Amino acid sequence: MNHKEATPDISAFLASAIHDMKNSVCVLMSFLNDNITQLDPEAQRTAAPMLYEVERVNDNLLQMLAIYKVGKQFYPFDLSENSVDQFIAEINNKSKTLLDYLQIELDIECEPELQWYFDYELVTGVISHALHNASHYTKDKLKILVKEIDGQLEIRVEDNGNGFPPCVIEAGDAIKKGVDFASGSTGLGLYFSSMVAKLHTNRDKTGSIQLENGGTYGGGCFVLRLP
Amino acid sequence: MYKEAKDTTPLFATKNYLIIDDFQGMRTMMREMLRIFGGKNIDAAANASEAMSLLEKNRYDVVLCDYNLGSGKNGLQILEESKLRNLTGLATSWIIITAEKTSDLVFGAAEFMPDDYIIKPVNEAMMKGRLEKVLAKKDVLINVEKAVRAKHYPLTVALCDKLLAGPQTNTVELLRIKTSTLITMGKYDQAEEVFNQILAKRDIPWARTGLGKVAFYRGDMEGAQRLLNEVIRDNPAYLEAHDWLVQVHEATGNLDEAQNVLARSVELSPTSVIRQKNLGEMAQKRGDLETAATAFRKTIKLGEHSIHKAPSTYLNLAKVCSDKGTPAEALQVLKSVTHEFEGAKIRLHAKVMEGSVYAKSGDHNNALKLSKELAAITSNNNTHLPPELMLEATQLFLATGNKEAASGMAKALVKNNHENSKLLEQVNELYSQAGMQEIGAELVSTSREEVIDSNNRAVIMAKEGQLADAIELLREARTLLPDNKRIMINLANIAVLSMRQNGTNDDLLQVSKECLKRVTEIDPQEKWCAQMQAAIEALVPQGTI
Repeated sequence: MNHKEATPDISAFLASAIHDMKNSVCVLMSFLNDNITQLDPEAQRTAAPMLYEVERVNDNLLQMLAIYKVGKQFYPFDLSENSVDQFIAEINNKSKTLLDYLQIELDIECEPELQWYFDYELVTGVISHALHNASHYTKDKLKILVKEIDGQLEIRVEDNGNGFPPCVIEAGDAIKKGVDFASGSTGLGLYFSSMVAKLHTNRDKTGSIQLENGGTYGGGCFVLRLP
Repeated sequence: MYKEAKDTTPLFATKNYLIIDDFQGMRTMMREMLRIFGGKNIDAAANASEAMSLLEKNRYDVVLCDYNLGSGKNGLQILEESKLRNLTGLATSWIIITAEKTSDLVFGAAEFMPDDYIIKPVNEAMMKGRLEKVLAKKDVLINVEKAVRAKHYPLTVALCDKLLAGPQTNTVELLRIKTSTLITMGKYDQAEEVFNQILAKRDIPWARTGLGKVAFYRGDMEGAQRLLNEVIRDNPAYLEAHDWLVQVHEATGNLDEAQNVLARSVELSPTSVIRQKNLGEMAQKRGDLETAATAFRKTIKLGEHSIHKAPSTYLNLAKVCSDKGTPAEALQVLKSVTHEFEGAKIRLHAKVMEGSVYAKSGDHNNALKLSKELAAITSNNNTHLPPELMLEATQLFLATGNKEAASGMAKALVKNNHENSKLLEQVNELYSQAGMQEIGAELVSTSREEVIDSNNRAVIMAKEGQLADAIELLREARTLLPDNKRIMINLANIAVLSMRQNGTNDDLLQVSKECLKRVTEIDPQEKWCAQMQAAIEALVPQGTI
């Protein structure tokens, strides 16, 4: 018998740990939401970042699980037709409390009656993450802009902060050029968003992400394009 | 820019709700949300068995069900069982709440899919939006679902077309229902046209899978294989394409590949009892006894609390254990099957297998004892055994020297399955192994000819216009050979012909329906079934089937 302790297969724990943690995150979020409401506005402003932190925990859990499952060819990628209106309304519903407490104004401009094919959960993950990220760096305004351009669905998340620093923009460009970024230097969120974009294909076209500065408010812009 | 939301409190107030979640915190949270939306009648269950007993007692309009409920059934299995047991009506909206999206949740069998699923975490605004959407969808689709459930195929297609011509909501769902109904009706050209229209705009996995199905039903196995492999190449977790590809490989006799694809589909849906069972049966067929034993053990364990718990899995496991030289486990499994299931039929089946285990393991005394018992029980020919067990019994009788019982059993087997060349071959094989090759060959050919002969006589009578006589002859034949597919097909065909000429009558309608039902059970792939279903529907005015 070999008594050496075998290296545990961490992937076996990953999914079940995330299941468990998601329940905790759920309850934590609901507690924060309910209790922050009862605070006076000043206290609300100080407590609100806690909600942001919980959202970050959730974003990271979701991203790790999705990357793991796509890599293992287990992710049920579901290219279904969705009403873009309803999709954006749900993103708004999800983020409303956080943005209200942070006293950030979210403006939505969405081409009406648009139907598009995408994996609902993955794209929700990308846009929610972009929104959470932008909420941290903006001054007080955010905008979601959705329209169809040249046969692609373009979703932009824009803020009125100071914009992305050059190194982040470079990381975004590197992804576009197909530089290997599995080294981890670019961070989980960007890797995840790019992976999701690339999973979306239509005939010879592939989805993409882009980071830029400017847009409506002259701040940072995250752009997702889906064919 | 959003339409002003109308007050939905009255809508929520009239519904009955059930929350199923093993986590106290989540139950409290969801109950609170429903109250805020206006909900009043809200029940909650902490596990599958609590949920089942509430579902047995009450009718719910909305079920919010966690996917992962710890041990026992998961949320999807509760949904499946309540649908199969008619505990939830068509009007029930079933929403699965889950930490992650899984293949069986998204790509499983359409009739057991939830109305929607929500990925955690859920918040109030989002939950409300989803509930409103699902309730609105239910409203639109309820009549279509009713028609589907009543197997009213032309009506289903007509309703889908009507809704598809209206405002663009639920388009994909309607197209899926429409095409799968067209395929069931055998209208492959029409289904193909719809799939091609969809694919002209965009490459959608379900539409491509649909083309694969059409190719399969037309017998174009090469085309079906190519299409399904394309779907899987682009969507490695697409479960439905795997399920169909298994059937294609099976139909072309490529059992090695069929098992490989099954193994992958089991990986994709680790809690599916049926796929695990199919894997076991495939491995058993191929003689891969270790894989078969593992798969059957898993099937039993997974199915413990499931509606799919079935004695046949235990019997198969016992046979596999016996074949691979572990009779102790085989006997243990047979003991547990009589504990787990009640009834004389199960005891008889277990006894046949037990005798076979003794015979194979060289325990002659016990084999002889069971052979005698079984000969006494089966001598009157009224005992209904599935073909595999008839083979086992024949082998046991031959091994213990009871030639008369063996020949009785073998004849019944051949006559009930006279077109199943593989089974006939197996009977020949058994007799050869017992050193009675010629007797076996003679038995198989005369029994087979007897059935062919009476079938032919009936067909000739029918051609000459003596429909009543033909029906009479086939009815007698069916009483003697209740599982003979050809007899049932001929009987139903001639009964329908007679009703077309002389008007519908309840007796013949009943017989046709019985034959259709039994043939569908014996051979779900039989193309005749769709034609017969359509023929019966054409005879009976809409709405009365």
